[in-house]
Amino acid sequence: MALVRWFKRHLVVIAGLLTLGYLLLPNIVVTVFSFNNPKGRFNYEWQEFSTEAWTDPCGVADMCGSLSLSLRIAAWATVGATVLGTMIAFALVRYRFRARGAVNSLIFLPMAMPEVVMAASLLTLFLNLGAQLGFWTILIAHIMFCLSFVVTAVKARVMSMDPRLEQAAQDLYAGPVQTFLRVTLPIAAPGIAAGALLAFALSFDDFIITNFNAGSTVTFPMFVWGSAQRGTPVQINVIGTAMFIVAVLFVLAGMVIGNRRNRQKA
Amino acid sequence: MTKDSSGDVRLSGISKTYGAFTAVHPLDLTVPQGSFFALLGASGCGKTTTLRMIAGLEEPSGGTVSLGEQDVTNLPPYKRPVNTVFQSYALFPHLDIFENVAFGLRRRGIKSVKKQVEDMLELVQLGEQARKKPHQLSGGQQQRVAVARALINHPKVLLLDEPLGALDLKLRRQMQLELKRIQTEVGITFVHVTHDQEEAMTMADTVAVMNAGRVEQLGSPADLYENPRTTFVANFLGTSNFIEAEVDTRSGDEIVLRAGGGKLVLPGARCSAPAAVGGKVLVGVRPEKISLTHADEAGGIPEGRNRITGRIADSSFIGVSTQYVVDSPVCPEFEVYAQNIDRDPRLVPGAEVVLHWNPAHTFGLDAAQSLLAGTTGSAGIETVAEEAAR
Repeated sequence: MALVRWFKRHLVVIAGLLTLGYLLLPNIVVTVFSFNNPKGRFNYEWQEFSTEAWTDPCGVADMCGSLSLSLRIAAWATVGATVLGTMIAFALVRYRFRARGAVNSLIFLPMAMPEVVMAASLLTLFLNLGAQLGFWTILIAHIMFCLSFVVTAVKARVMSMDPRLEQAAQDLYAGPVQTFLRVTLPIAAPGIAAGALLAFALSFDDFIITNFNAGSTVTFPMFVWGSAQRGTPVQINVIGTAMFIVAVLFVLAGMVIGNRRNRQKA
Repeated sequence: MTKDSSGDVRLSGISKTYGAFTAVHPLDLTVPQGSFFALLGASGCGKTTTLRMIAGLEEPSGGTVSLGEQDVTNLPPYKRPVNTVFQSYALFPHLDIFENVAFGLRRRGIKSVKKQVEDMLELVQLGEQARKKPHQLSGGQQQRVAVARALINHPKVLLLDEPLGALDLKLRRQMQLELKRIQTEVGITFVHVTHDQEEAMTMADTVAVMNAGRVEQLGSPADLYENPRTTFVANFLGTSNFIEAEVDTRSGDEIVLRAGGGKLVLPGARCSAPAAVGGKVLVGVRPEKISLTHADEAGGIPEGRNRITGRIADSSFIGVSTQYVVDSPVCPEFEVYAQNIDRDPRLVPGAEVVLHWNPAHTFGLDAAQSLLAGTTGSAGIETVAEEAAR
């Protein structure tokens, strides 16, 4: 009886922990196997503990090159999609123009369309234009599909913004540029930041669209896919784990800063 | 003595239309320097639009706005020497109180703002809160920040758009006095938009009553209350009783009217209708001007007072006064407010009474208008329409 009562009382916590475990288990496996010393080319069976891969993360031919290419593309795609997406979001919320309704729905298309369809049609487009496949075609494709996510994130924020705040700024001697920089942008910033993070994450691990439009260029996800055919080096796990840790650190830093700010206010 | 007129607000023929809808009909208005001016009206009457045209946040469809000698009609809001206290304050949520108040000074390139901001926060009693964010303050405190943020710029005119609308009743009374005090202290012209007639009358030197995009009447609160010129004003400011009457004779300054079987006297100066002999006039009288005497003692009523008879339909005791509703042949539901000094125990529902008042308290209006204009039913509280207009 006591056990049943204890179980009832902690049901939410138990369900939460199980879900969390379900989510994190793959990450744990990746982390554990980054310390493996596999026999042969495949890193699917635990052999023995080793830090060799961590001490030489770029030890695999071409891997770090593809990683830096992916980071560069993700960075530029983020910048491009965030700038364009923010402007589109403002235009859609603030202004009434003829094709507003159409643009509003069209902007969701990249989210809704199957990626493989989009990838194939983009490739057709690039080939017909005679474009050289590589860095630029990948970047253009990434900006295109990241846009809709940025627009969605920023739009929600701009919609909840009181237009009187900008009127108040104007009333207090701020010209249009000052009003945008001092009031509009800081208030929209959380939405823009959310859109940017999303864009970075989406661009960095995109495989399908990139694979179609990369030509002979190899991004990190393509490298992982390619090497999986021939054998998976432990270094892939090292990069995966490192990225996971960086992301967790970012989240923790955000929480600490947020807490400190709240405590100051109180 | 030459009066400083640099803070005059002059609207000449200003109007605003949205498509087919006219929010403000061509309007001429002068607000003298240093006065506390209220634009009073129900939701959607154009008062906020008028205010926003003075601020530059709304472009007039016609006419000009001048501040002192300067025509500012084509100046953007950030170049006009006016500041606004917005409805619901519009404090910048990402800035603390200090930076909110310093905003205007910084935008004008003033470097050392600390002293000024601290002094201003002292004036509105918020010195302790300088480093808090707006959402950590109470409604009343936020309201004071909004006033401080505007006043620190020493505008020629301070515009207040329903500044007390979001506060509860007690706080509102307190802030009314506070705002009045600040206005007297700084001597800046205040233009105050409100739908609350009591607020307008408490605070303003001059009140313009607006209705459907037009100014119905303009004057001091006492003047508007005692001498309303339309039923809208008579009903919107307080309560009025109306009797439809016919002009019987006109002798010098007195108009004698016939209503039912009786006669009523109206001073000619207090009649805003043409009042030709034989014509109709609406006779108005405020409920607190009327005395109530039991029919048995009607003989004791002094000569020369206007009198009508009736029967008490309802009475409600509300402490300082008793409010009676009297059914009279000339007017159903006549309202009478009697001070509770000597209460006659016979004055209960069903009692026959005589209502009488000094003819000087009578006012005459044009009979060709709705008796109900400006009552609560026809002109509700500031709500959806005005919100939507933004």
